[in-house]
Amino acid sequence: MENSGKPVIQTRSLTKKYRLGQEIVVAVNEVNLTIPRGKFVCIMGVSGSGKSTLLHLLAGLDRPTKGEVDFEGYNLSAMSENQMAAFRRKYMGFIFQTYNLIPALSALENVALPLLFAGVPQKERDKRARELLVQLGLGDRLKNRPSQLSGGQQQRVAIARALINHPRVVFADEPTGNLDSHTSKEVMELLTRLVYERGHTLVMVTHDPNVASYADFVFHMRDGQILNGG
Amino acid sequence: MNKWDILKLAYRNLWRRKGRTILTTLGVVIGTASIVVMLSLGLAITENQRKNMERWGNLNIVRVMAGMRFDDKGQPIGAGKPLNDEAVAEIRSMQGVVAVSPAYVFGGEVRMERKRGYIQLVGIDPSQMQALEFKLSQGRYITPEDKNAIIIGYRVGNNLRDERELRRMMASKGRAISTKIMSVSRPQPVEPAELLGKRLSLLSSPSEGNPMDVRPLVNLEVVGVLDEKDMQRAYEAYCSIDELKQIKKMFEKTMQPAQKSGIPRQRNDPNQPGPDDYQYIMVRASDVGEAKRLSDALKRAGYNAWSMADSLEGIEKQTRTMRAILGGIGGISLFVAALGIANTMVMSIYERTREIGIMKVIGAAVADIRILFLSEASLIGLIGGTLGVGLSYVISYVMNDLGLRFIGMPGPAGPGEKIMVSLIPPWLAIAALGFAIAVGLISGVYPANRAARLRPVKAIRMDY
Repeated sequence: MENSGKPVIQTRSLTKKYRLGQEIVVAVNEVNLTIPRGKFVCIMGVSGSGKSTLLHLLAGLDRPTKGEVDFEGYNLSAMSENQMAAFRRKYMGFIFQTYNLIPALSALENVALPLLFAGVPQKERDKRARELLVQLGLGDRLKNRPSQLSGGQQQRVAIARALINHPRVVFADEPTGNLDSHTSKEVMELLTRLVYERGHTLVMVTHDPNVASYADFVFHMRDGQILNGG
Repeated sequence: MNKWDILKLAYRNLWRRKGRTILTTLGVVIGTASIVVMLSLGLAITENQRKNMERWGNLNIVRVMAGMRFDDKGQPIGAGKPLNDEAVAEIRSMQGVVAVSPAYVFGGEVRMERKRGYIQLVGIDPSQMQALEFKLSQGRYITPEDKNAIIIGYRVGNNLRDERELRRMMASKGRAISTKIMSVSRPQPVEPAELLGKRLSLLSSPSEGNPMDVRPLVNLEVVGVLDEKDMQRAYEAYCSIDELKQIKKMFEKTMQPAQKSGIPRQRNDPNQPGPDDYQYIMVRASDVGEAKRLSDALKRAGYNAWSMADSLEGIEKQTRTMRAILGGIGGISLFVAALGIANTMVMSIYERTREIGIMKVIGAAVADIRILFLSEASLIGLIGGTLGVGLSYVISYVMNDLGLRFIGMPGPAGPGEKIMVSLIPPWLAIAALGFAIAVGLISGVYPANRAARLRPVKAIRMDY
C-alpha cells in the first residue's frame, strides 16, 4: 500500500458541539488524534463520552463544528455530500452494533450493496460477495434474509459488507454490543484476523474492555476528550 | 449506480409492502380509468356527431350561396356577391381550393314510363364531379360526349308516382284541387337500379293548371346513381350546367304569359342577382380544417359561404366543454390517487429512514436515493396506469355493449354501424399512461427529496 509510513487519519483540534434544548453539549472537544495505518485502534469510553460522535466525524458521517479530519491527505470537511458518499464507497467500511442490514435483501445482496452503489455489474458483485461470505463461514446462508439469521451470523454478514470494497479503514461501532460473550469472542477473532490478513485499518468504538483487549492501540475517552494523548 | 439496478431495487421495495403498494396502485388504477372513461364518453359523442354530419354532407365541401349574407348570430348583413363566372374564377384562385363548380338549379316534372314526379335538376361542371366527391353506387360519370345525361341521387326514385292513379283522382275530384293531388297521391318509389339507363322525359309546364296537359320537352338519360350514404344529394339529379341552361330556356318558352310575369326582372343594381347567375357554387377544400378556413375566407370576401365544418365546429366547441367537465371529474380521482402515492412514499420514508441512512453510510449518493424513491413512485404510476388503461378498455367495451342494448336500436347509419357510448382512441390510452407515470413521478418528488436530504448519522441512530 502506498505511503505506508504515514498515518491513515489525523485530526486537528476536532470539535463537535450540539445544542440540546438550552444547553450546548460539547460531544467532542479539541481532539488531536492519529490513526496509524494497518492497525487496530480502539476508542474506549462510557456511554456519552463522545466516542460515537468522534467515530462519525472520523468517517465523515458528521461534520465537525471546528477542526479538521485528514483522511489519506483529504480534508473531509471540505467535501460535498456526494463527494463524501463516493469517498466512503471507496475507502471506508462500516460495522454497527445493530448490524444495520437491509431486511428486504438476502445476505448476498446485503454484502453486494456497496458494490451496487459503486456501479459494479451484478455478476461481479455476486461473485465477490459470495467468496467473502464463504470465507466467513456463511456459504450456506447466501439466500437468507437477515431475519432468518442469528445475531452472530448477521454481524458476520455486516462484516462482509464492510470489507467487500477493500476499504482503507473499517469503522466499527460497538460491533459486539448485541452479542453474547461467546459469539462476541468469535466475531472479534474473525474481525481481527480478517483486517490483519487483508491489511485494513480498524477503528473501533466500545465500552467493553474485553473487546478493547484485541486492539493494538486503545484511546480512552471522557467528556469529549482523549485522555491518553493521541 | 446502474439504472437497471435502481429499478430492480425499487420494484423489490414496492413488493415488500405488498398490501400498501396494491392499495396505492388501486388508487391510480381507478384514477386513470375514471379519466379515460370520462373522456371516452365525450369523444364518443363527438365521433358520433362527426359521423352523422359526414353522412349529411361532405365535411370538406363549402357551399357559396346566392342571396343574403349572415353574421355568426344569424343576423343578415347585406347581399352577397352575385354568383357568376367572375365569382367562380375568384374562388378558384383562392388558397386551399381543390375543385370548384357553379350550380344552376332548375326543378320540373319528369315522366318515366307510367310514373311521374318532381325532380330537382342541378347543373354543374361534370368534369369536377369526382373532385367534388360525388361518389357513384352504380353507373358512370358524365363525359363530354354525353348528350342530356344525368346522374341521380339515391332517392330520386322515391318521388315518382303512378300517373294512372293521378288520372283517377283527377277524374273524381275535378280540376279545382288538381294542385293538391300531386301531394296527396302516394309516391311509388322506384329503386335506383331500375332507373339506371332509363330515359326520363322532362315535361313542359302544364297549361292552365291542368297537370295532365303536358308534353315532353327533352329526354334525360340516367347514366349514374350516387352513393346511398350521400344524403345531402339524395333527392337531386345532376347534369351539365350548359345543357341545363338550354333546358331552362326551352321550358320557359312553354310557360303561359301569366306564369312568366311572376318572375321579377331587375338589372339596375349590379349586386342584384341576374337571371343567369348561379344559385350556388360548390367548393371543395383539401380537408376539414381547410374547409373551415376557406369558409371564413369566403365570408370575408363577401360571399354567403356555408360548410358542414362550420356546424361541426360549433358542436365541437360544445363537446369540448363537456369533455373538459368529464375529464375534470376523472382528474379529481387521479389527483386523489396522486396524494395517495405521495402519502405512501412519505410513510415509506418514515419506515425506511434507517435503511436510507445505511445506504448513505455505505456509499449511496444523494442522487441514488432520490432516483430510487422517484422510481418507486413512478413504478406505482406505471403499474397503476397500465392496469387503469386496461380497465378502461373493459369498461368501455361493457358500456358500448350495454349502451346499445339500452338504446335498443342500431346507429343512425343503419345496421352495419353502431352508436358509440365510449371511444378510447390510441392517443388517449398512451396519454393516460404517460399522465399516470407523470403523476407518480411528481408525487414522488417531495418524498424523494426528503429521503435524499436525510442525514445518515441521524437516520441510523433512529431506534425502533
